[in-house]
Amino acid sequence: MRVQNERTVVDGLRLAVRAMVYAVVGGAALLAIATVVSVLGPMLALDLYTPAVAAWWTVFTAVAVQGVPFLLLGTVVSAAIGAFVPERVFTKLLPRNQALAVPIAGAAGVVLPGCECASVPVASSLMRRGVAPAAALAFLLSAPAINPVVLVATSIAFPGQPKMVLGRLIASLATAVVMGWLWARFGREEWLRLPKRTHTAASSPTGVKAFVAGLQHDFLHAGGFLVLGAAAAATFNIAVPRSILDIFTGSSWLSLLLLAFLAVVLCVCSEADAFVAASLSGFSPAAKLAFMVVGPMVDLKLIALQAGTFGRAFAFRFSSATWLVAVVSSTLVGWWLL
Amino acid sequence: MRRYGSAVLLLLVGGAVLRISLFSELYLRYVQAALRPYLVISGSLLILLGLVAAVRGMRQRDHEEHDDHEEHGEHGEEEEGEEAEHDHGHSHSHGGPRIAWLLTLPALALLLFPPPALGSYSASREEAQRAAQGVGTFSALPAGKVLDISVAQYSSRAIYDTGHSLKGRTLRMTGFVTHGSDGTWYVTRLLVTCCAADATISKVEIRGDEADGAPQTDSWVTVTGTWVPKGRLGTDGAWPPVLKAAQVEQVKEPADPYDKR
Repeated sequence: MRVQNERTVVDGLRLAVRAMVYAVVGGAALLAIATVVSVLGPMLALDLYTPAVAAWWTVFTAVAVQGVPFLLLGTVVSAAIGAFVPERVFTKLLPRNQALAVPIAGAAGVVLPGCECASVPVASSLMRRGVAPAAALAFLLSAPAINPVVLVATSIAFPGQPKMVLGRLIASLATAVVMGWLWARFGREEWLRLPKRTHTAASSPTGVKAFVAGLQHDFLHAGGFLVLGAAAAATFNIAVPRSILDIFTGSSWLSLLLLAFLAVVLCVCSEADAFVAASLSGFSPAAKLAFMVVGPMVDLKLIALQAGTFGRAFAFRFSSATWLVAVVSSTLVGWWLL
Repeated sequence: MRRYGSAVLLLLVGGAVLRISLFSELYLRYVQAALRPYLVISGSLLILLGLVAAVRGMRQRDHEEHDDHEEHGEHGEEEEGEEAEHDHGHSHSHGGPRIAWLLTLPALALLLFPPPALGSYSASREEAQRAAQGVGTFSALPAGKVLDISVAQYSSRAIYDTGHSLKGRTLRMTGFVTHGSDGTWYVTRLLVTCCAADATISKVEIRGDEADGAPQTDSWVTVTGTWVPKGRLGTDGAWPPVLKAAQVEQVKEPADPYDKR
């Protein structure tokens, strides 16, 4: 009994000493940090907080804030698919033949009223649910470009030019379908790294618990990459002034390629890009169309999100191929329609 | 921290979103006004998710402590189930994915030092922006002695309106001050469609006796004056439009620093 009592006393003493050491060391460190920060902070802040840096922070937080609701919508849909929709629903809905499934999945993009942040998690959960990657990728590309919200925004931005809306719909859908077919024909499974979270369908949990867990995980994961993309977008936004565009308006070919490149680096949300395109005076309609077709399918924010979800090997291959196909298809549609 | 990582992150992001959308109007510096309800919903949902994650973390700790004491308790089976669910093949399942810690950057920025609205710096870099539209007649302006008009609206009417709807009207507009190279100064306003990344600029040159003492760059002013025709409609010569100021008044930065479309 006494031995035990002694032991508790010794234990208590040890605990007290340890706590004191922690408090002293931690307190001293905290004090040192606080002093350094309070002295150096204002000096550094004044030197580093130039207008350019302030603008960078504003654009950076703006892209991130703007992405949060859409990302959350996307992860809610994707977690719901993962937790509540059994696999056989998709195998029944989509034809087994991939060549047929791709255009159907592409056209199904109409139903997800969000911008591009929402479509990546949804496409990934579709793949986990056994949808052929080619079909899920067609959906991934078409959803942010051809949903009703985006098309209405386009018609408001280009009043009296219904052909612009039609052109956007056709060129985007064509790009999505062609990319799906290209993947079905040339794509390799090993490029695509699906999240390890998948178990075999039988053992994976379903129901509310899985929904909440999936939602938390997917949002945090995609959110991290959204921040990465927002940082890249803000950097280009500040580093590349849009006034340099005037130099290139002379050649229609150069201007089309330039706007297609600009769509990648500016990362304008697909619901807003029509207004930005409309404000780019002096560019040919085909160039503006290319801006609107490329933007929702390939941009820095999206590449970051895809790299996080499907792996880097996939994101770079897929994005560069999509960029080429999107440019070609908007050139053709622009030449035909506009 | 490992156990509560997800909870901390979700609460932080949710708190930041609610701080700018529900508890203040700061969100207007970053995104368009129509996004507010979605921001409030997302913020609340994230807080809720964060609380769920925190509760789960706590319960898990209790389980582990429990497990230490009685090795083969009744909770054995349940524990296993929990573990399997948490494991999911992720090595970092408790703290959430590591990349997610990047979310602390914008979240802490919004909570502690909300970045300012874009101002003259961004305006000076996007000189060439101009609403692209054809020449035509515009809808009639509402009647009244002094008419409040947005800088963007004034610009497009001054440059493209063949009906000259601005003629003979007294107009009042608010914006921040930018300076030209040769002593001219402008009332400038940025227009945001979705978020600050797509800001476009419109500006109006201010002339008149009142304009002699030009205000400081980036200060906000409300200018009352009349339209001065300039150049041929729809051409570069008509831009930027001019306003003859009768009164220039310094004002505070408005809650919504950007123009409405």
